[in-house]
Amino acid sequence: MEKEYLIKKWLDNSLTPEELDAFKALEDYEVLTKLSNYTKGFKAPEYNEDEALKTVLHQIETKKQSKTNWLQPVLKIAAILVLCFGAYYYTTTLDTTFTTDFSEKISVELPDHSKVDLNALSSITFNKSDWKNNRNVSLKGEAFFDVEKGSTFNVNTSNGIVTVLGTEFNVKQRDNFFEVTCYEGLVQVTYKNNKTIIKPGESFLVLNDLVINNQTVYSQPQWLTNTSAFKSLPLKEVIAELERQYKIKVETKNINTDLLFTGRFTHNNLDTALKSITQPLQLTYTKTNQTIILERE
Amino acid sequence: MPEDLHKNICEQSLFEAFFKQHSKNLHDFLYYKFGERLNPQDKMQEAFIKLWENCKKVTPSKAKSYVYTIANNLMLNEVAHQKVVLKHQKIKPQEHSNESPEFLMEENQYRKKLENAIANLTEAERVAFLMNRTEGKRFKEIAQILDISTKAVEKRIYGALKKLRKDIEEI
Repeated sequence: MEKEYLIKKWLDNSLTPEELDAFKALEDYEVLTKLSNYTKGFKAPEYNEDEALKTVLHQIETKKQSKTNWLQPVLKIAAILVLCFGAYYYTTTLDTTFTTDFSEKISVELPDHSKVDLNALSSITFNKSDWKNNRNVSLKGEAFFDVEKGSTFNVNTSNGIVTVLGTEFNVKQRDNFFEVTCYEGLVQVTYKNNKTIIKPGESFLVLNDLVINNQTVYSQPQWLTNTSAFKSLPLKEVIAELERQYKIKVETKNINTDLLFTGRFTHNNLDTALKSITQPLQLTYTKTNQTIILERE
Repeated sequence: MPEDLHKNICEQSLFEAFFKQHSKNLHDFLYYKFGERLNPQDKMQEAFIKLWENCKKVTPSKAKSYVYTIANNLMLNEVAHQKVVLKHQKIKPQEHSNESPEFLMEENQYRKKLENAIANLTEAERVAFLMNRTEGKRFKEIAQILDISTKAVEKRIYGALKKLRKDIEEI
């Protein structure tokens, strides 16, 4: 039998007993078997199939998890966006406040073009985004309102509530002093659950818990034209307004500040103003830095 | 060829069975072809992972050639035309031999020659030859694994044998 044929069958482990004998008889027999035996030492390293399977399955699992982990950062971003929108929306629905300092006056336009003039040391607060439904303003201090015709317009103060539909009126709310003056239209004042309606030229005043109904001859508050006017009002109210307009401190010596004063003073000149107050009451004044002292002549 | 019972291999128990059937052969194939240095264990595992990831697109009958191709490509990406040197391993525990020192030295020399000779084979020859001689696989089996004809296997192995003899006996 041919050598090549035998060798090939030997390689394939398919020698018949006859063929095996013939193979062993080959002169190459020893060389071939030696080569074959030594080759067996080149076996691939043993490896643990179960371990390998475990590793593969584990890898597949972790890949699955990292795929769903893309969701985490997306959720985080979504949450941040929601917070941002929420905050933004919130801030656009907050109230608006205007405040004046000593000797400061400002004019404010409300969302429906109603106008508010603020006197010194006052503040108003309202909500722009809610204005269509609710025309509500909170007031501390003094303001003149020119209200456009429309839904009910409310001015809330710590003393009482002023309600109008469309008018011009002045609200003055200070310590122990609450006065509403109507210049146009009709004004309803709610004070301690009592409702009073005042007409143009009329005013509703609460002074030291006393309700006084008054009249005015002016067509608008005098303070809008930089003058403060008083009609039979206690001196201490006059002094208080003077302090607000000039940012000064006024002290009195031996003076009854409940004395009633009728008159006016300017906002433009302190000396003139002081004279306007002291002369009618026969008082004198002295100035030291930011303090004025009033005393009897 | 029997019809595929299942459309794909996406089910875990199917996958595991497939793994058990082919992983060792694939590992050994990679080892014989590329050597230990390029981590045949890793590449084999990666190939199976990729199979799982693409399990919907691979039918079971194509799965075997799929993992072999993937593993082979992974290897090729890493290999840099290095000569593959398979280290000879001692399979039997060291017997206390009566052999003389000269004999032992001769043995070592032979081993070294064989090592180099195997490294000089082509990849195709080496893989087929080693699968046949060290793993004891028959031609038909090797043909199935490598997806070639039995005749081609025979040619490679016989060719390898001739080369090895030439290399060793010449010197």
